[in-house]
Amino acid sequence: MFIVKDINIFYGKLHILWDLSLHIGDESVGLFGPNGAGKTTLINAILGLVKPTSGEITFDGETMLPLETHERVRRRIAVVPQERELFPLMSVLENLRSGAAYIPEAREKTGERLDFGFEIFPVLKERLRQLAGTLSGGEQRMLAIARALMADPKLLILDEPSCGLGPSLVSDLFHRLNEIKKGHSLLIAEQNVRQCLKTIDRGYVIENGRIIMEDHAESLAGNDHIRRSYLGL
Amino acid sequence: MRNWRYLVYALAVIVFTTLPFYTGVYLLNVAGYILIFMTLTLTWDMLLRSGQISFGVYGFFGVGAYTAVITFLDASIHPLFSILLGGIFAGFLALVIGLFVLQLRALYFAIVTLALGGIFMVVARNIPELTGGPEGRVLPSTIFDGDPTKTYWLILAVAVLTVIISILFEKSRVHFAVTSIRDDEIVARSSGINVFKYLVFLFAVTSAIQGLAGGVYGHIYGFASPEGSFSLTCTLLPMAMALLGGIYTTLGPVLGAILLGSISELLKLLMPYGHLLVYGIIIIVVILFFPRGIVGTLGKRFEKKR
Repeated sequence: MFIVKDINIFYGKLHILWDLSLHIGDESVGLFGPNGAGKTTLINAILGLVKPTSGEITFDGETMLPLETHERVRRRIAVVPQERELFPLMSVLENLRSGAAYIPEAREKTGERLDFGFEIFPVLKERLRQLAGTLSGGEQRMLAIARALMADPKLLILDEPSCGLGPSLVSDLFHRLNEIKKGHSLLIAEQNVRQCLKTIDRGYVIENGRIIMEDHAESLAGNDHIRRSYLGL
Repeated sequence: MRNWRYLVYALAVIVFTTLPFYTGVYLLNVAGYILIFMTLTLTWDMLLRSGQISFGVYGFFGVGAYTAVITFLDASIHPLFSILLGGIFAGFLALVIGLFVLQLRALYFAIVTLALGGIFMVVARNIPELTGGPEGRVLPSTIFDGDPTKTYWLILAVAVLTVIISILFEKSRVHFAVTSIRDDEIVARSSGINVFKYLVFLFAVTSAIQGLAGGVYGHIYGFASPEGSFSLTCTLLPMAMALLGGIYTTLGPVLGAILLGSISELLKLLMPYGHLLVYGIIIIVVILFFPRGIVGTLGKRFEKKR
């Protein structure tokens, strides 16, 4: 169980996140909100890239706040950031290996995790020796997700996985996320609410740094505010 | 592209190992000089691969020279062992200093390392009981009684060791870590890489080798002095060599050192008073037209052909 409790975050004098709380169990959770609502800031706080001034973050009962980013990642929280997620001048295989190389438990399972990645993204297997930078945008996103999966994460966080992808690629991507969520807890920050609602179990809506709504996917899909502001209905 | 690299390695190994059998003292000395700078160039590049530019090479080189000379004179340790101590002490010093200054990055780190060398020099000048003050300390005789062939083997051993370490780093997990730290530190940390630990480790290892090279230098020339051992040449020349050969590789610094070392020696013979000028022009031309260095430029051409 991953728990964020009442965290407050400031950038200088700007109050970005206000008493924000959420939890993620063995489920997939969506995080919705407009640009600038604080989605990425929350993810950065989970990773330890920004420090909350108050509040608590725990993972399976262990407090995360004193831990450095790499120590948190070694507790098996993996992130697919919004951009700059790959090493463009390294091959696909090298990129994948680097996802497991620095996490001792994952390193032992490199072969197993590679097979899992190829099962979900077969196209990567055909491209093993190709430089990551020469892949298409969709393939790069797949590689980034497969790379994060190499760490055998208990919690996989995706920051706007559909960003920059065409509609058919987006639905393809969410199909694959449906496969991934069977074995991993997911936190998906997304603007494409319509697609994301089909994958997640539960969702949070964040606006101006506050959680304004939390509900099951079906209820969110029926909610008036969501339908008006995010689904354009 | 991979094949031509190995060809160059093989050629270099053959040339350098057979050199003592068919050349005279003069060429052996030149080769030794080139190999010492090859060592410094490689270590500078090894740290550069993590994005950290060090101007401190001359500092750790000098520390190594002083440590080797002093431990040999005052503790009458075997010269080879005193050289080893020079490396160990330089590495230890870098480890301790690194714990503090490797919170800094890029330009700030570069400036601090530049200052470090200066501080070491001032310290060396001001404790005459130990370091001999401004005059430095002179050995009664040079290592191996000045036998040029044995001296050459010693230098070659250090250079080969450095090349091997550099290749090992390129082939191992260190390579991913270092490259990702250079590309994007946040991504590196999010991949579970302990950025600080890797940087301190790299700084200590490369400085230890620089200290080792300094120790060798001290014993070959038989002295350690503030101006002689802490010479900025030991920082600037390796940079020029690495840029000429191509940075972020093992082969680049090796090639750069061989080429620039040979050229500068040749120029010294051809035009004793103008060689520095030509030397400077070469560096400018290389940076203008081959910013990726020889290995980078050639590598790209070979890749295109495939």
